[in-house]
Amino acid sequence: MNDNEKIRFDAIVVGAGLAGSAAAMVMARTGLNVALIERGRKPGGKNYFGGAIYTHAIREVLPDFMERRPPFERPVTEAGFWFLSSDGGLTKMVTQGGKLAGDPADAHTTLRATFDLWWAEQAQKEGAFLIPKTTVADFIRAEDGRVIGVLTDRPAAAGPKPQAGGEIYAPVVIICEGVNNLLTQKLGLISHDLEPAYQALAFKQVLSLPMETINARFGLPDAQHGVAASVLGDISLGLPGMGFIYTNKTTVSVGLGVMLETLVEYRLKPYEVLQRYLQHPAIAPLVEGGQLLEYGGHLIPEGGWREMPKLYTGGAMVAGDAAAMVNALHWEGTNMAIIAGKVAGETAIVAHQRGDFSEQTLARYEEQLRQGFILQDLKQYRNFSKFLDTHPQFMDVYPAFLNDALGDFFSAYGKPKRQLFKEIYGALTGRRPLFKAVGDIISMGRAVLGW
Amino acid sequence: MVMKKGDAFEAQELPEEVQATLPEVYVDDLLVSIKYFVDEEESHLWIKDDAVCARCQHKPCLYFCPVHVYTLGSDGKIQIAYQACVECGTCRVGCPYENIGWKLPRGGFGVAYKFG
Repeated sequence: MNDNEKIRFDAIVVGAGLAGSAAAMVMARTGLNVALIERGRKPGGKNYFGGAIYTHAIREVLPDFMERRPPFERPVTEAGFWFLSSDGGLTKMVTQGGKLAGDPADAHTTLRATFDLWWAEQAQKEGAFLIPKTTVADFIRAEDGRVIGVLTDRPAAAGPKPQAGGEIYAPVVIICEGVNNLLTQKLGLISHDLEPAYQALAFKQVLSLPMETINARFGLPDAQHGVAASVLGDISLGLPGMGFIYTNKTTVSVGLGVMLETLVEYRLKPYEVLQRYLQHPAIAPLVEGGQLLEYGGHLIPEGGWREMPKLYTGGAMVAGDAAAMVNALHWEGTNMAIIAGKVAGETAIVAHQRGDFSEQTLARYEEQLRQGFILQDLKQYRNFSKFLDTHPQFMDVYPAFLNDALGDFFSAYGKPKRQLFKEIYGALTGRRPLFKAVGDIISMGRAVLGW
Repeated sequence: MVMKKGDAFEAQELPEEVQATLPEVYVDDLLVSIKYFVDEEESHLWIKDDAVCARCQHKPCLYFCPVHVYTLGSDGKIQIAYQACVECGTCRVGCPYENIGWKLPRGGFGVAYKFG
């Protein structure tokens, strides 16, 4: 191909998700000519989560985001843990208002098809050029191995050979391809797929209910209030897994994540586990009559710090799920993707200013991330992904105990309280010897604090 | 614990009383809620070697796929209903023999979540 006929941009972003559009936004804003490549018909169509979006991250990329009318569902004004027991019990540990009552609230329940489309539109408004319906298959490399472009499956509009249109060139490529990080592997930034022990399959149903019904069932005064809850206990069959429930405007998102290793070894059918959850006596009345609008599933890379790929090489950087930027315990990932996309974009800007896209220059990306919460948190939580695997009692024993203990505490059985407390204590030690329970708490502390 | 691969793969059993609490679900009732642009010309999923599947004792792919893409044909071979795939990647990393070929659908095809 003649050199003048090549399609050239200043930067290429692979994937118009949270990380990709953030990267495209900051680069296009400084005048760089950015190609934002998306394999779906439009941004958002391949993306999936619980879930809630955090405004702190959006604000860092787009300070005036509220004026741009983001398609949030509800502010999260109540958040917490719900513990389900197999006899139908539910114990909640939730917080309302207080720190959650900011304006705008820190977290908003969201649906990704609408949010990611809006997010990509903001990148387009800054001047990024969206190329949808295009799957990136490989990289174009210089003789020294540096990435200088991508090979797509997009046929040329007018060219005689289909592959002629498939090549797009840029001195820097930001890979935001998501959890199935085939391109990241192709570049050799990680040598293998993330093991099933380090990934969770999340699956959920979006159920339609009238706004007033949702408000009444969840105890919310209006649609400017919303619930986000992590649901533990009976729903994961005593295996490592965690449920979630989010109230949207006129839908609820109910689902759960189960470690892939567990799912495969126990040969669980995800839809059966989800149906069982929806039928739990504490959950069924919340979703009763809800019409199924959408079912789906998505992997979550929960390997954390130890399982991250190298984040950069000559001419390329990786951000978001592709780089395993997820803090599973805190349900964080979307915020990390946005911030990492932004930092990668800023690094590409620096590289353009220097006219140097070498690995040494792009190392700034990781240096910047080390100074922020993303790599610091992931490092601190580096042992947590293993923790639930080795401490399954947090999935069944303790949620069941909490339900029993509080159930006893708030029941008047007409017997002396000394005896009642003895029984509660016995209910714990019968399930788990005291020294082990203390050990569990210490190891959880270590897993969270990173000792 | 890391899942054992290949012939060393070990299936686990739920306690019988827990297994009994799992309801039967008609997957098609769920699939109708998902929007797809089906690539009629090519499948992005394939079995690398049918002989490996024949040797696979537990066939976890018949269970773990969230949209039940994998079924056992009357000829004993694994059948792939790639049209229902939501591109999650579970089979790509979950097959103990790494015997499932997986690539992204061509641009514009595959699942198109309306809500996500």
